[in-house]
Amino acid sequence: MGERLRLGPGSLVGGLALAALGMSVATLALRLPPALWIDALASPDPSDVRQMLVRYSFAPRLATSLLCGGALGLAGALLQLALRNPLASPTTLGVSAGANLALAMAMLWAPGLLAVGREWTAMAGGLVAALLVLGLSWRRRLSPLTVVLAGMVVSLYCGALAAMLALFNSHYLAGLFIWGGGSLSQQDWTIAQFLTPRLALALLGAALLVRPLTLLTLEDDQAKGLGLSVPLIRLAALALAVALTGLVVGTVGVIGFIGLAAPALVTVAGARRVAARLLWSTLLGAVLLWLTDQSVQRLAGDFAEMLPTGAITALIGSPLLLWLIPRLRLTLQPPTGLGEAAARARRPLLILAALTLLLVALVGLSLAVGYGLEGWSVSGDLAEWRWPRAFAALAAGILLACAGGTLQRMTGNPMASPEVLGVSAGAAFGLIIAIFALNEIGRAAQLGAATLGALLALLAMLALARGSAAAPERVLLVGIALGAMFDALVTALMAGGDPRALQLLNWMTGSTYAATATDAGVALVAAFASLAALPLLARWLDIVPLGGAISGALGLPPRRSNRVLLVATAAMTAVATLVIGPLTFVGLMAPHLARFLGLQRALPQLVAAALIGGILMVAADWFGRTAAFPWQIPAGLTATFIGCPALMWLLARRQRA
Amino acid sequence: MPASAHRLTRRGLLAAAASCAVLVPGPSRAGAAPARVVSLDYGLAETLLPLGVPPIAIAEADQWATWVVEPAMPPGVVNLGAAQEANLELLHALKPELILTTPYLAPLGPVLARIARTESFAIYTPEPGTPYPRSVDATRRLGGMIGRESQAQELINASAARMAATRAALASHAGTPVFLVSFMDTRHVRVYGAKSLFDDVMTLCGLANAWRGEVNYWGFATVGIEQLARAPEARLIYVEPIAADVLAALARSPLWNSLGFVRAGRVHAMPPALMFGMLPSAMRFAGLLGQTLAGAPAHG
Repeated sequence: MGERLRLGPGSLVGGLALAALGMSVATLALRLPPALWIDALASPDPSDVRQMLVRYSFAPRLATSLLCGGALGLAGALLQLALRNPLASPTTLGVSAGANLALAMAMLWAPGLLAVGREWTAMAGGLVAALLVLGLSWRRRLSPLTVVLAGMVVSLYCGALAAMLALFNSHYLAGLFIWGGGSLSQQDWTIAQFLTPRLALALLGAALLVRPLTLLTLEDDQAKGLGLSVPLIRLAALALAVALTGLVVGTVGVIGFIGLAAPALVTVAGARRVAARLLWSTLLGAVLLWLTDQSVQRLAGDFAEMLPTGAITALIGSPLLLWLIPRLRLTLQPPTGLGEAAARARRPLLILAALTLLLVALVGLSLAVGYGLEGWSVSGDLAEWRWPRAFAALAAGILLACAGGTLQRMTGNPMASPEVLGVSAGAAFGLIIAIFALNEIGRAAQLGAATLGALLALLAMLALARGSAAAPERVLLVGIALGAMFDALVTALMAGGDPRALQLLNWMTGSTYAATATDAGVALVAAFASLAALPLLARWLDIVPLGGAISGALGLPPRRSNRVLLVATAAMTAVATLVIGPLTFVGLMAPHLARFLGLQRALPQLVAAALIGGILMVAADWFGRTAAFPWQIPAGLTATFIGCPALMWLLARRQRA
Repeated sequence: MPASAHRLTRRGLLAAAASCAVLVPGPSRAGAAPARVVSLDYGLAETLLPLGVPPIAIAEADQWATWVVEPAMPPGVVNLGAAQEANLELLHALKPELILTTPYLAPLGPVLARIARTESFAIYTPEPGTPYPRSVDATRRLGGMIGRESQAQELINASAARMAATRAALASHAGTPVFLVSFMDTRHVRVYGAKSLFDDVMTLCGLANAWRGEVNYWGFATVGIEQLARAPEARLIYVEPIAADVLAALARSPLWNSLGFVRAGRVHAMPPALMFGMLPSAMRFAGLLGQTLAGAPAHG
């Protein structure tokens, strides 16, 4: 930990630039004889398609990759400095999710807006999302973790809305999937000309921010002591980063990873001062995207468009992140605000009893009441179709809530959720490979493939975790890297327009449609087993958040307890993912809601979280089956609709006023 | 009993009865041919219409008019929601006798089989073969299944006649390479290549597909517009609908304006036709192709 690369940021950027240049020259030589290069770039012969392609496709694409990479690198550096969080990245603010949603809505309901300009629509959406994030974290003076948490909640909400639009209008939104994948393909210089002056302005703005940001690297209190308005500096840096991200996502689409990787690599390579970090991050971002895009063009050939560069940056970037993790000096701040949320409840048992009653009532409603051609009806006849879905949702809710609660207590990180563990991503990988490699496969084969994927991810994670003494932050980062790879794969498949990708979309958004009686039974058994194991885990969970030294002093071997807790969490996640897909918002939500009810000790909090998880999922499943009849909204999406506003409200509420 | 059941021909009935007795004896085939048919696929649903057994319910009925257009789906056909998540409670209540599906929906198979007899038809799969001949076979099989053999043969003949007529009408264009695309946004198209229904129809009508590149499972590729520069002598036909800003953005693009078919004015708009359909879509597409190219000079 903390070892530095021998080469400085300069050699890093230079080396990568040389590689990118070599690839560009080689690719260009294949497309046009070198003798014609000058002609093609200066004044191409309109009747020579090769020259026109070099002038209006190859060259602007190269320029755009440099500009977008630079913009994202700078945005990432600004965010990481402003939030003092090495994991902050432009997507953290929800800008790309907001832009994506705005574009989808415009395509469906206001196509006239697109004629005005796609980038403006996208930027407006991104800006609204970012303002929402800042608004939600304003009362906490934009504290770094709150901003990232709010960003994630807003991203989830926008993502859920866009996914629903895509499910109901799959034919219309095919173009959006390309955009979501971040395609750099160009037919003229419009985008490059659009970006150049704006990036120059942003660099100027960043130069003005160097001094305030340098002071911000001190502790908040010290910075304030020096007469600085901490929120104001942060806001300025955030605004600049949002504008940069908005420009990029509005013109070429979502290219997520550069903004995270470039500033992190620059730090590892030894850049310390604020000015150096901003400058080298910009350059490294530009070179990284240039290299990635040239590799995509070179390797993919005809399939270049089916592999959008934005998705490939994530595929290449995730292993890079895995390599970076042991080298980053990570001190994730302890959770502020959310942890100190509510007064301790006087009668936890009463709360648990009320939650249980509510859950039972909801299950009854879900089985008996439905909507059909003749409207609402109460009947037992259709229970045969309803119970596997209702019980699968119930079990998944319980499992995810237990897993999320365990993770959050274990890591002391309020953003931990089963999705972050990477096990969901592993299961999803298995399923995707099965669907695309073995054409037509049944449910049993799907389950088998997903299980295998989840197991492999779990084993990989445990192997990596052993190397670093199972430090919870490391494990979470490994999970984030795996999740990013999975997202990239799905995005690439969506962008290719393969209709089979829709099946994945259904599963990913948490549909209970495919749940069989066997699925529901297996998941319920797992859920009850987890509930039974909670009292055994609860003592550890009360102690572990106190930190390694204290828990060691209390007679708890930190490695063993961590490993047992990890395996338990992974197993719970795997079963839930198989049933209801990798969208595990409930795992994040339920433990927070339980804490806000005033349940603070591990056991009552986890039991309440499990009940809340069950309530959320059963309600979501029932609502999803009836609200849009005969269409069905996946339970994962509906849970997000219910849960997100609740979490936003909790975030925005002033604590300890 | 719905009216359509009375239109059974005697010969069809006899043939159906014979095939039941000889080939597939069993309680499920013992009665009359199924009249309450549900289709989860647009291609199979559009084939049911000319066979005289309109489906009682189809998936995504509300988007039929946008994507298939013709033949029109009669009013009153129940909407089952998304194909990959057809509403099971509704399907159960409708008490169908036969559910038509495709290998794409294979995971639903066991569940659907609990409601009614389920038959899967493979039109778009990666195995050797292309959609048009597969559609002919599937039409024949479907006709046999619902006791409409002669109507099925009539549809097959009508489709072959439409192809031949279009080929004759477009004789002056014979061998012309044509790009057939849908615009995804201002920078990307979906181009239909080998193993697509459109490719089969273009070949049957005497045209050549200008796209020789790789295609995916369903017979198309999503590519940047610059990839179309490979065949400057081609024509380009784009299928509507098209997003509001695409044509304006293209008009400003020097590369687009330098492409051979753009400079020569060989770019044509075509009303929507279902790209993943069967014989009725093939016939509609051939008709549209004839109308689109009829006015165009043969060697522009």
